[in-house]
This record gives sequence, structure tokens and C-alpha cells, in this order.
Amino acid sequence: MQVTLRIFRYNPEIGRTKPTFDSYNLEVEPTDRILDLMEEVKAYHDGTLSFRRSCAHGVCGSDAMRINGSNKLACKVLVQDVSSPITLEPLLGLRVIKDLIVDMEPFMESYRSILPYMVNDDIPEDGKERLQSPEERARFDDTTKCILCAACTTSCPSFWSNGEYVGPAAIVNAHRFIFDSRDKAASERLEILNQRKGVWACRTAFNCTEACPREIHVTQAIAEVKRAVFSGSLE
Amino acid sequence: MTPILTSLRTTLTGYLRYRGREGHYSFLMHRLTGLGTLLFLIIHILDTATVYFFPSLYEHAIALYQSTPFMLGEIGLVFAVIYHGVNGLRISVLDLRLPEKWTIATQRGGVRMTFILSTLMWLPAAGVMMYNMLQHNYGMFGG
Ligand code: HEM
Ligand code: SF4
Ligand code: FES
Repeated sequence: MQVTLRIFRYNPEIGRTKPTFDSYNLEVEPTDRILDLMEEVKAYHDGTLSFRRSCAHGVCGSDAMRINGSNKLACKVLVQDVSSPITLEPLLGLRVIKDLIVDMEPFMESYRSILPYMVNDDIPEDGKERLQSPEERARFDDTTKCILCAACTTSCPSFWSNGEYVGPAAIVNAHRFIFDSRDKAASERLEILNQRKGVWACRTAFNCTEACPREIHVTQAIAEVKRAVFSGSLE
Repeated sequence: MTPILTSLRTTLTGYLRYRGREGHYSFLMHRLTGLGTLLFLIIHILDTATVYFFPSLYEHAIALYQSTPFMLGEIGLVFAVIYHGVNGLRISVLDLRLPEKWTIATQRGGVRMTFILSTLMWLPAAGVMMYNMLQHNYGMFGG
């Protein structure tokens, strides 16, 4: 079948500073992925087209972008899932560096700000392992699935208005450690997230949950962190 | 561009061009109805204040409220307040009491239910207000 691929182009290196769209008519299979189409354009039509990709199987989180207006991973969307013309645009709210590549640093800075690692300086009882029951492990199972693709954060109206807001992805990753029975820094994270740029900037618009390619219950995780901040307890 | 202009542009681009699902539009309506109600309240405080400071203007303000455009606006305002209230309660209950109900299925259904419920609550009031307006301003229904 024939489809038209419209791709956002921006490249200050060659003086292409006014964002424009390039269109390509391609002969494709309905089961091709959008990423395959982009690879075809890069290989056969325009080698300067720039985008991030790595795994091509929805696990590395490199290729989140707006596909026909909503955030998706290009490697997880098939041609048959979208209507032609298929429009590709960079994630919204992060500075565009070139074509579909955005500056992820503000996103990573927010991620780092919530201490996304286990904090526990105590010696385990047997000197070797920290045991956890299946129930304790299940408490934060959903939020371990995040691949830091930024689809959620850049779909959030609060983030569009205020780039300081840590965003859903940072809160999801805070949740992953706050509710981990082995971790000791929950109160520090809750304090960080009780600031203006923390959980209270969430307006429950739900775009994050709809956008998450890992089907994480993002809004639920944020609500649970809100409740922990509010009550000061992890139940 | 200054950072404020950049974020304003990003915000408006997102509001208008992001293709979200029900939640995106529910968020926009909640914000619009909240700001709209706030705007009305500010105007209303100002016009009511004229009764004390400029009594002659007060008569004029009342006449303005009885004009057709303002009465239609008021009928819209009633919807805004009802929708904002019902949706606000939905959000509060989910966020404060039932976080586990923040699923895609409940969200999509909940937004639709909120819209239908608000419309059903609004219709009787809108009917009465419309009746009064037609009676006063257009002499219908023996007015
Ligand atoms: C009927 C009672 C009301 C209820 C239950 C209610 C509930 C809420 C809730 C829960 C929010 C936060 C939404 C969120 O964070 O997800 C909100 C926001 C807001 N409300 Fe109300 N509200 C009510 C009346 C009003 C009135 C009378 C006004 C106008 C003066 C108003 C103006 C606003 C504004 C401007 C916002 C901010 C919207 C935004 O951030 O997008 N509300 N309301
Ligand atoms: S929560 Fe989902 S959408 Fe957000 S960064 Fe993680 S994987 Fe991506
Ligand atoms: S290329 Fe790795 S997630 Fe799509």
C-alpha cells in the first residue's frame, strides 16, 4: 500500500532553522512499523534525516515522538494502526536539537532529582541479602517497568507550561523506590516531591497514562505518591 | 524568544494540537470552566459594587444582564459551574480515595459519564432560563 510520511525537519547546522515538514510517498506493508519507514527514508531518500533509535523493540525508550499528534514509540506503531498522511514530530516541551532529536537533559535532570536508586546503608541481617516478600515486591512492580522514554512527561499539560515540573516519569521512578520495603529514603523523596515542582503540579489530565508504551498506571502512581506526601505514611 | 513566550507557545501548541484522549479534553474543559467562572465572579463583584459607589450605573448594569447575549452567557455559565463541580468531585474522589481506579477504562468512561451527567443537570435550569428570556425579551409565552 501507499502512504505519505510527513516528517518535521529542523537543522541549524545547514541553516535550516525554520521548522518545516518534508513529505515522502512510500510503498509499504500494513504491518511495517513507523520506525521501518523512517529507516527507509534515511537509507534511500535523505541521509540527513536524524532520529534516535536503538533496540527497535520497545525496550530502550529512544524513539518516543509525536505520531499523528500523540506520543508513541515509532518502533511499536504499525502502519495499519495510523492513518495516512502519517505525521512525525519531536516530543513537545523539550528543545529540538535536530529533526526528531530533542534535548533530553532537562528530563534526565528531573529524573536524577528524585534519587532514583536504592538508599540503604544498614548491614543486612545475614550480612548478605535484603529479603522481601512477594507482596512487598508486588507493591511497586508496575513502576519498575519504566524505560525513560519521556512519552508521559512530554504529553503533560503541566509540563508544557512549566518545564521545572519534575513530570510523571520522575514521579513514577520515585514511586518505584518510595514503596520498596528495602529502601530507606522515602521521606527524602516525599519532601522533594512536596515542592511546587513536585506532585502538586499534576492536574490529572491523564495524557501520561494514555501515552505510556509500557502501560504503566502513571496517574495512579502519582496519586499514590500524592497520598504518601499528604499523609506522611506509606500505609 | 524569551522563556515565558516559549512555554506559552508550547502550552498552546499542546492544548490545541496534541491528540489526547478523553482526559485531555476533560482537563481543557475543567480549566476553561474554572477560569470562565472566575472571570464571571470578578465582573459580578465589580458590577455589584456599583450599587454602592455609582448607583446610577447599577441600573444600567442590571439592564445589561437582561440583554439576550448576557442571558445566553448566563445559561452557558450554569453549565460551566455544573461541569466544573461534577468533574472536580470525580477527580477528588479518584485522587484522594481511589487511586487504583485511575485506569484507562475508568478514565474514558468517567469523563463521558461526567459530561452526560452535567448536561442532564443543566438542561432543566437552561430550560427555565431560556423560557424567562424569551418571555421578557421577545414577549413570547404571553410575556
Ligand atoms: C462546585 C465546586 C467546585 C469544585 C468541586 C471544584 C473542584 C476543583 C478541583 C478538584 C480542581 C483541581 C483540578 C485538578 O487539579 O485536577 C479545581 C481547579 C480549579 N477551579 Fe474549581 N471547583 C469548584 C468551584 C470553582 C469555582 C466557583 C471557581 C471559580 C471561581 C473555580 C475555579 C477553578 C480554577 C481556575 C481551577 C484551576 C484549573 C486548572 O488548574 O486547570 N472552581 N476545581
Ligand atoms: S512512565 Fe512510561 S511513558 Fe513515562 S518515561 Fe516511563 S515508560 Fe516512558
Ligand atoms: S528503538 Fe528502542 S524503544 Fe523504540
